[in-house]
Amino acid sequence: MLLRAFLPALLALPVCAGAAGVQTGPATLDVLVRTPAGKPLPDAAVVLEPAAAPASASRARPHAVIEQRGAEFAPWVTVVQTGTPVDFPNNDTVRHHVYSFSQPKRFEIKLYAGKPGQPITFDKPGEVVIGCNIHDWMEAWVLVVESPYFGKTGPDGQARIANLPAGRYRVQLWHPLQKARVAAAEVEVGASGGGASRLNLVLDARAREPRPHTEVDQGQY
Amino acid sequence: MILTSLQRRIVLVFGGLLVLIMALVLALVRDSSARIVGSEGHSELAVGAKVFQRLLEQNQRQLETAAGVLSGDFAFREAIATQDQPTVRSVIRNHGQRIHAQVMMVARPDGTLIASTQRQTAPGDAFPFPDLMLEAEASGRSAGFRQMRNGQLYQVVLVPIMAPHRIAWVAMAFQVDDRWAKDMAGITGLAVHVVRYGARGPVLLASSFDAPQRAALAPGGLPAAGQQAVQDIAGESWRTMRVPLDGAMQAVLQLPVAMVEAPFKELQVRLLWVIVTAIVVFALGSVTLARRIVRPLEELSQAAQRIAQGDYGQALPALPQDEIGQLATSFARMRDGIASREERIVRLAYVDSLTDLPNRTRFLEAFARQPEGSPRAVAVLNIDRFAMINNALGYQVGDRLLREVGERISHLPYPPLMVARLWGDHFAFLLEIASADCARSFAGAVLEQLRDPITLDGQRLDIGGSIGIALYPQDGLDAGTLLRRAELALAAAKRRRSGLAFAHEAGAEPAPEQLSLIGDMRAAMAAGAHGDQFMLAYQPKLDLKSGRIVAAEALLRWRHPERGMVPPGSFIPFAEQTGFIREITPWVLDAAIRQLAQWQAQGLDIAVSANLSTLDLLDPELPRRVKALLEFHGVPAVRLCLEITESALMDEPALALSHLEALAALGVKLSIDDYGVGQASLAYLKSLPVNELKLDRSFVTAITDSPRNAAIVESTIMLSHALGLSVVAEGVETEEELAWLRANGCDVAQGYRIAKPMPAAEVAGWIAGLGIAAAA
Repeated sequence: MLLRAFLPALLALPVCAGAAGVQTGPATLDVLVRTPAGKPLPDAAVVLEPAAAPASASRARPHAVIEQRGAEFAPWVTVVQTGTPVDFPNNDTVRHHVYSFSQPKRFEIKLYAGKPGQPITFDKPGEVVIGCNIHDWMEAWVLVVESPYFGKTGPDGQARIANLPAGRYRVQLWHPLQKARVAAAEVEVGASGGGASRLNLVLDARAREPRPHTEVDQGQY
Repeated sequence: MILTSLQRRIVLVFGGLLVLIMALVLALVRDSSARIVGSEGHSELAVGAKVFQRLLEQNQRQLETAAGVLSGDFAFREAIATQDQPTVRSVIRNHGQRIHAQVMMVARPDGTLIASTQRQTAPGDAFPFPDLMLEAEASGRSAGFRQMRNGQLYQVVLVPIMAPHRIAWVAMAFQVDDRWAKDMAGITGLAVHVVRYGARGPVLLASSFDAPQRAALAPGGLPAAGQQAVQDIAGESWRTMRVPLDGAMQAVLQLPVAMVEAPFKELQVRLLWVIVTAIVVFALGSVTLARRIVRPLEELSQAAQRIAQGDYGQALPALPQDEIGQLATSFARMRDGIASREERIVRLAYVDSLTDLPNRTRFLEAFARQPEGSPRAVAVLNIDRFAMINNALGYQVGDRLLREVGERISHLPYPPLMVARLWGDHFAFLLEIASADCARSFAGAVLEQLRDPITLDGQRLDIGGSIGIALYPQDGLDAGTLLRRAELALAAAKRRRSGLAFAHEAGAEPAPEQLSLIGDMRAAMAAGAHGDQFMLAYQPKLDLKSGRIVAAEALLRWRHPERGMVPPGSFIPFAEQTGFIREITPWVLDAAIRQLAQWQAQGLDIAVSANLSTLDLLDPELPRRVKALLEFHGVPAVRLCLEITESALMDEPALALSHLEALAALGVKLSIDDYGVGQASLAYLKSLPVNELKLDRSFVTAITDSPRNAAIVESTIMLSHALGLSVVAEGVETEEELAWLRANGCDVAQGYRIAKPMPAAEVAGWIAGLGIAAAA
């Protein structure tokens, strides 16, 4: 509820270019996200927005995939740039009814098996939570961002964002179960001549707790 | 029905015990019932409360389930997700009707209302129950009892709407009203109320009671939560318990105590009937039993009273052979034992065991039972020579003889009123006759019966009897006196050998002091010479021709230890009457002969005379005894003179004569004492071996006064001399008499003129003194 309250503010942040404007070679940023307790936080989205200039929109949008396997969405958290089509291939033997009532993208893929004919294109920034009308525990989150520079922490809490033009960025963290929105941090990338730079950030969020499958045993009969 | 004491006690004890036990049972049942009612009520209420709570939970779960199903409905979620208020309101109204929720509300996760079916609330308002929302955020859903702004109470369920993330809350409320309370009451069997305990006191929100009961309900006086208490509401007793519903909301559950009590009340009523019936049956039974026990006892008691009155012949009541029957049997045995013992005792008391005749006691009683003044006589029979037969043939023969005699005298031709055995060989008859002649003829009949000899062990015994008769009322007024007089008469009859004597012939009854003299005489005789009560005095006899003392008469003197000297006339006749003289005479003879021997040794030449009574003269031992004494003391028989009265000779003339002859043969001189009083003729006396006559003192005293007497004495002296008898004059008291006697040829004189009787020791001295005087 709180997350949702702060989400529009996050999305409304202005995109700024680097302060120096000096073009150097693309850089790579490694971000380690941890909880205040110091534990690495997986499934956290790390979004970098250039402080100076908006990112070029000419970049091609590759398909993202959220597959359904074992009556779960995988991955649980997906970060896409606006306009990215997302495929929902069903790798289960049962059919799924994938839907979202989230503001940025409402859609419904009625009972289907295999790969649906059309991908769903997320054309507005924001958080989209996706569920299955048949399996209430199934949940997937899609964070739709304007910036092309983003990453997602792995199980070790590490996210790598490559091909970053040097410049100044606002670093925004997001997690579906974050307790409060954190203010964006400013970071200077590539200022020291192109080496990989590292960033340690803290986000207070609960780790994902998979919801119990209420009909998990049914397939065995 | 008459209840005797024992009967009453049995009935009272049994009935009382039963009543007591029944009262205890009733009290126990009442007490137990009260406790069971209490605990039953308690547990019933507790169970009802559990059912109530379970129902609440079930209701809530059903509501939650319904709400959950509703909230999971895709179209519902889709509609909510539109956030379009008119749409959302119509959706919740529609879906609320599906699950019969009276109120539906949808709120955003931040707690602001999206839509509500309540008019009082508007979109954008805060959700009215934020506490429910907080609880639901923590546990996914929540439920509770809440009062809405309209004052109505609702059970509210709050569930999230997931898409799949929670996008909204939907609250569904179900009204909790009187109908709800009645439904709950119907299921739990309890009265159900819902009360809110607020700051302004308890408020009744819902109740299963109808209006009048509800008015009496005072929710203030309710027990603490979880506790039970009994309340009186509108005259009815209710067991009450509080169950917390939600916060200040409490459910009050009530169980009517009467409902629990009803079966126990009925049990008690039935038990009371059983007890009353039992007591009635028991009372009748114990009365019957008591009568069955008591009636035989009463009969036995009456029988005992009859036995106490001496009635042994009655039949005892016939009784069953139980303990009382056995008692009756024992009782009968006891009665028979008493009867036979009494018979034996009476026998022992009244019957002579030897002859089976009535005894003396019986005789006395029989006499006493005779009507006063009726003619009566008492006769006493004694067997002659019975002592001799007893001594010679033994007591067994004596006893058989007595039995035979008893047998014979019991079968007289004219039976007397009673025949009894008094003692020894004495039998008595009670006669219903008044005249001496009749008595005489009866005595003749009795003696006739004894005339036939009795044969015992082949021995023929000739027996005879003597009878003494006393007549009523001449001889005595009571049986004891009459018997005594008859015995005296009997003694006289034996003395006279007449076979029969009457009491008036035997002389008057001895005076009481004489009776005691017998004992005293016996004692004196037993004391013998040492006692010195009996002694002999000697009265000298003067020979008128020679003027010498030729003899002395031994006279018995009794110095009684208390009365002093007893005159001979006071005890000798009595000793003769009673036969005691037979014991005195041998002593007198012995003493006199011993004295003779003594005087003989002193050279005093005098004779001694001693008196013999009638009984002495009849004693066949007399001559032998006299002979033995004379020989023992070495005294010549001629020195002893024995004086005999005329009457002694008249009783048994033949026997007396034979004894006199035996004495005379010994050489003993014999003298007739008191001559002139009796009717014996001198001719008769001549046939006796008698040496001397003693003139009675009455003649001697009259010599000098009356010439006629003098003539009689003179002729007697002459006649005696002619018959060869010497004459002794007794009672010579004057010189004139002495002179007359001397002048008329009397041989010997004796009397106070010559000398008074004197102790033996003085005799010799007196004679010597007389000699000196004569010489002078």
